[in-house]
Amino acid sequence: MFTEVLPQQAPSRAAADADPAGPADPAGPADPAPANAAPADAGSTAPGPTAPWPAGDRRRARRRAPRPRFSVAPYLYILPATAMLILWTYLPLAQTFELSFYDWNLIPTQPKTPVGMGNYAEVLALPELHQALWNTLLYIGAFLILSVALPVAFALLSKRVSGRAKTVYQALIFVPYLVTPVATSAIWRWMFAEEGGTIPAIARTLGFEMGNVFREPGGSMIAVMVIVGWQLLGFGVLVVSAGLAGINPDYEHAAGVDGAKRRQILWRITIPLLSPSLVFLALMTILLSAQWTFPVIDLITQGGPSGSSTNIYYLLYEFGFRSFDAGISAAAGVLFFIAFGLVALLFVELTERLSFHDN
Amino acid sequence: MAFTLVAPQQQAVPSSPERIAQAQRALAASRTRGRLGLIPAFVILTVLAVIAIFPIYWMFVTAFRPADQSLSTSLAPGPFSLENFQYVWETIPILRMLLNTFGMALAIAAGQLLVAILASYGFARWRFLGQKTLYLLFIGSWLVPFQVTMIPNYVLISQAGLLNNVAGVIVPQLAAAFAVMLLKQHLDSFPKELLDAADMDGRGPWRSLWEIVVPNLKPALAALAIMLFINAWNEYLWPSLIMQKSNDIIQVGVRSFLGAEGNNWGAVMAASALACLPIFLIYVFLQRYVVDAFVRSGLK
Repeated sequence: MFTEVLPQQAPSRAAADADPAGPADPAGPADPAPANAAPADAGSTAPGPTAPWPAGDRRRARRRAPRPRFSVAPYLYILPATAMLILWTYLPLAQTFELSFYDWNLIPTQPKTPVGMGNYAEVLALPELHQALWNTLLYIGAFLILSVALPVAFALLSKRVSGRAKTVYQALIFVPYLVTPVATSAIWRWMFAEEGGTIPAIARTLGFEMGNVFREPGGSMIAVMVIVGWQLLGFGVLVVSAGLAGINPDYEHAAGVDGAKRRQILWRITIPLLSPSLVFLALMTILLSAQWTFPVIDLITQGGPSGSSTNIYYLLYEFGFRSFDAGISAAAGVLFFIAFGLVALLFVELTERLSFHDN
Repeated sequence: MAFTLVAPQQQAVPSSPERIAQAQRALAASRTRGRLGLIPAFVILTVLAVIAIFPIYWMFVTAFRPADQSLSTSLAPGPFSLENFQYVWETIPILRMLLNTFGMALAIAAGQLLVAILASYGFARWRFLGQKTLYLLFIGSWLVPFQVTMIPNYVLISQAGLLNNVAGVIVPQLAAAFAVMLLKQHLDSFPKELLDAADMDGRGPWRSLWEIVVPNLKPALAALAIMLFINAWNEYLWPSLIMQKSNDIIQVGVRSFLGAEGNNWGAVMAASALACLPIFLIYVFLQRYVVDAFVRSGLK
């Protein structure tokens, strides 16, 4: 789930790709007649010369093919992906919206009872929801530090270490990101184990008795933060390092020649040029931290003790698959989807305004 | 002998001994300063690397200890024993789980790659009506958290009779919007001349795709395939929903093993080590591709 495309660039690219002078065929994006036609047919079904390769020199392209004929070829190529996207993402999204107005226990033979806005009222009044929401915010705050701020500091440090050593450090720091969720949880349960666990042992030598962290309200949440932070740090370092590598060193040299101090170079040149990577990481953290913590919460704390380490997505899962209350889960899901969608849009907007691009 | 410290071109220029000595001192000072300045960086990075690696090291060390020494806190490995692995092997069908998960991850990665190659080619090669809207559909899809759509997806899979079946895990994941977007960005910068040449040779778009585009994108496709495989292997929520009553997928099988074995840390660590072994092997042998893929996913 960590691996999403930098979103803020995508809309502008899509906009650039939409050619206003494109084929204005009245047939429009008609559904290609045989809905199941294998894309293998695309080559043969494409009638005559196809529309020009779009990113080329437009004037030249137009001269060569002044009026590209409408072609079903592109639709056929896109069909498999689009069909699955609709079937497994957009249709279910609509169904979740629909479900949020019903009372249903997930058993196919049981009827769905319409309850209007009842589920929403119920969800909003639940104290569990308030706690989960607050926890989610705390998690986001923690991960903004662990997976954005710390990686920036470390990547800047590792920039000064050059060559092979840097590669080795980055490779080592990235490994935790690849550890599979069940193993991550098992390893850390062992690290935190009251008897024989490494961390309580260290604490004991420092004269401090830890007990079982996962059974203490504050402790279990901090443990989840430590575990997920451990996994994400390497990813953050990698992304920031790549961002740093993409900055032309001439800027810093020029500033150095002009007499800028190291700190000035950092704040006036490096950080602004790094901002696209930073905004990307921050957006990922805000949108996905609830999902990153999910396996760890499910495998170690189950949200406990008494809801102290849960988050909103774990709550959705519990509503749906523990208490089998599909309506409540759907209503909560719709609310979160809207809230996070707004946050994402805000970020895209911020990115467009704040980012400096090295063009 | 001391003159070797000075750069050759300076040496060639005849100059006074004081000057040379001065240059030497300056050079030596700046080198020491440079090296000393790096010490904090090395220290901090080493601490960080140790924090990153120690839990994984500890997993392997515990797994390879004799079962009665699981609680040993000695940092050094050994005495070496395969007892824990033998126990895991005899208690759960770990090999079948690994093979199942491998097949599942391979199927998901291959499906996502194929679907993404076709779709990104469609998006990048032509201009067509509704292109922008369709592409927005892809971008927007990753804003939909999986937990919001999981109930309808679950219902659909159960209606299809695929609960507790690996196919039920694979099918909904065959298309990855993110792979489409990543590949489209690669294709947007693909040299048009190559395709124009292919057109002139009389190749249709289908043959151009497989004979020109795909071979030329091999490194990017390899990196993407590896990343898709790793992601599929590490997917947790969906397999654990679909495979509830069957332990055929490693995430689910090892989870129930952890539940049953509780504090038998040696066995638990052995099972965990096996669960992430394939990914570690991929990382060891294909590290450059893996890092490349994850960096690109975030930056391009």
